[in-house]
Amino acid sequence: MKYKATYIVAGFCLLIVLVQGAIVQQKPMPVQLIFPAHFPPPVYDFKHNPLTRQGIALGRFMFYDFRLSKDSTVSCGFCHQQFAAFGHFDHALAHGVAGGQGIRSVPTLFNLIWQKEFMWDGGVNHLDIQPLTPLTDRNEMASDLPDLLTKMRSDTQYRRMFKEAYGSDSITSERMFKAFSQFVATMISANAKYDSVMLHKADFTAEEAAGYKIYQKKCAACHKEPLFTDFSYRSNGLPYLEALNDVGRMKITGSTDDNLRFKVPSLRNVLKSAPYMHDGRFFDIFQVFDFYDHGIKVTATTDPLVKDGLSLNAQEKRQLYFFLNTLTDDSFIKNEGLSEILIN
Amino acid sequence: MILRIFLSLIIVVGIVTSVKGQSSFFRMSITHMVGNDTMQRETNYYTPTGEPFTISRFRYFLSNFALLTADDKYISLAPTYFLIDESKPASKIIELPDIPSGKYKGVRFLLGVDSIKNVSGPQSGALAVESGMFWSWNSGYIMAQVEGHSPLIQSPTREFVFHVGGYKVKDQILKYISLTFPENLELSGKQNVTLQMTADLNKWFLPDTIRFQQQPVIMAPSYQAKRIAANYQHMFQIIGIQK
Ligand code: HEC
Ligand code: HEC
Repeated sequence: MKYKATYIVAGFCLLIVLVQGAIVQQKPMPVQLIFPAHFPPPVYDFKHNPLTRQGIALGRFMFYDFRLSKDSTVSCGFCHQQFAAFGHFDHALAHGVAGGQGIRSVPTLFNLIWQKEFMWDGGVNHLDIQPLTPLTDRNEMASDLPDLLTKMRSDTQYRRMFKEAYGSDSITSERMFKAFSQFVATMISANAKYDSVMLHKADFTAEEAAGYKIYQKKCAACHKEPLFTDFSYRSNGLPYLEALNDVGRMKITGSTDDNLRFKVPSLRNVLKSAPYMHDGRFFDIFQVFDFYDHGIKVTATTDPLVKDGLSLNAQEKRQLYFFLNTLTDDSFIKNEGLSEILIN
Repeated sequence: MILRIFLSLIIVVGIVTSVKGQSSFFRMSITHMVGNDTMQRETNYYTPTGEPFTISRFRYFLSNFALLTADDKYISLAPTYFLIDESKPASKIIELPDIPSGKYKGVRFLLGVDSIKNVSGPQSGALAVESGMFWSWNSGYIMAQVEGHSPLIQSPTREFVFHVGGYKVKDQILKYISLTFPENLELSGKQNVTLQMTADLNKWFLPDTIRFQQQPVIMAPSYQAKRIAANYQHMFQIIGIQK
């Protein structure tokens, strides 16, 4: 009888040890992204940052954690809003902690693993290093990185999540940045009506088809399929604004030939991501059409393709609108795996 | 049984350490100078052309170490990166373990961070970006920096900031530094060698004369940065070797 009790207690202890062991030893679970069949292979090298379920979860948590900013008011998701395809609805220029305002609009975030350089001027040369700018820019999250790391290291939840993602609870900037990448790498938008048409699963309406023709003739050379950008830096003739004094790509290369050039943005989800252009000066897609039709200001660096304007009559604008509408990817904008998580 | 495991463990550890013990240990101890004076922050100095200034910060990266053998071959050492910081005494002693036996006549290293590490995303250790030695808006390491003040500068703060970087072909400022030992250094077995070196900030200002009024703030890859780097590649000097 006495022995029996001992056995039971011992057995129970063993069980606890085993269960705990199983919890503690839960390894980061590899995740394999499925790349769209009609896309080229991604340029991001996953070998140096293999995706795991826990890594993605950590990245998502950080993306929505406003405590990562200096005064705990601004998260990545504050500026990059999912319903706006991770652009920023309504605000022309990005605004961060204490109302600090930058000189550029918030770009959409998707299909980043096909992109080699980041920012409107391509100044950032690796997706993994990209979070450095918003985290530390005084007009964005304005954090001091050593302070932020100290703060995170004293947070038991972060220690646990880093341990789950990386096997140990050491919190380094390299791990933190790579976890951001893990999450943003999963932002893939390739499931709009346009994609179904290309994969022969749907058909354009007559208006959409007419709009597609106009797009192919007038826009596709720069906004190239299937990503709807060729990732080059060009000047599309957008008039320079003295107040912002943004020289674009020239700031990075120092070459006058790059004056007023900006990265060609994707047109995917474009109807969800107003306002438009690097400074968000157009609030409506029809203003963009009008600009290409008769607003182009030719300078030394203006792209030859748009020098004479891209004439668009009222009917063509409407057809183009209907085509651009087929680039809206609702499954992306409503993807629950990307949505905001509340952090208290 | 336990004793036996313990004993064999000791033997294994012993073998490992004795194999490791076959290589020498190379130490570079750097003293920062301003001309003939040992550098101290917030102290008055003059540039070689007589411009007064004080120093608040002096930092630079060293990497890609190699030793030159007596028969003119470079032996690359294990890749390591060091951020030397005037305000951190320990950072001014560089430790390079596992030096193979041989006869050496000099050392070569890179002042800066090789271009591949400038394009490979975030790194850890000395290269971790929280040092502030990485430009966020135009990716790339600041290879060397000095900050301070000069009464000659017109701005309200009178501050000068020389952040020198650039890894792309057009703005390349990476400098390999080759220094010859005063005499050949013969290393065999397990030796401890310390190379005493100086790094003279005043070398930043000549032979291509840098004046504070010209451009007190350099914070991007540029022609000015290239001029400074061409000067500062001559800042190191070996003053002695201790075995
Ligand atoms: C204050 C608003 C703001 C916050 C907060 C913010 N961003 Fe951004 N983000 C921007 C702006 C503006 C740009 C474009 C900047 C430029 O071109 O100079 C941008 C650019 C980017 C890009 C490059 C997109 C491209 O296509 O080149 C990525 C990726 C990105 N942000 C991710 C993040 C992450 C991750 C965070 C959180 C760590 C974050 N952002 C926080 C405003 C913000
Ligand atoms: C010469 C290349 C080129 C051509 C042709 C071109 N674009 Fe653009 N487009 C650009 C560049 C570059 C930008 C970014 C300019 C900036 O922000 O300063 C841009 C920006 C845009 C934007 C803003 C997107 C955003 O996220 O802010 C829209 C919308 C757009 N273009 C639509 C079109 C349409 C529609 C056509 C065809 C009628 C067209 N573009 C033709 C190069 C081009």
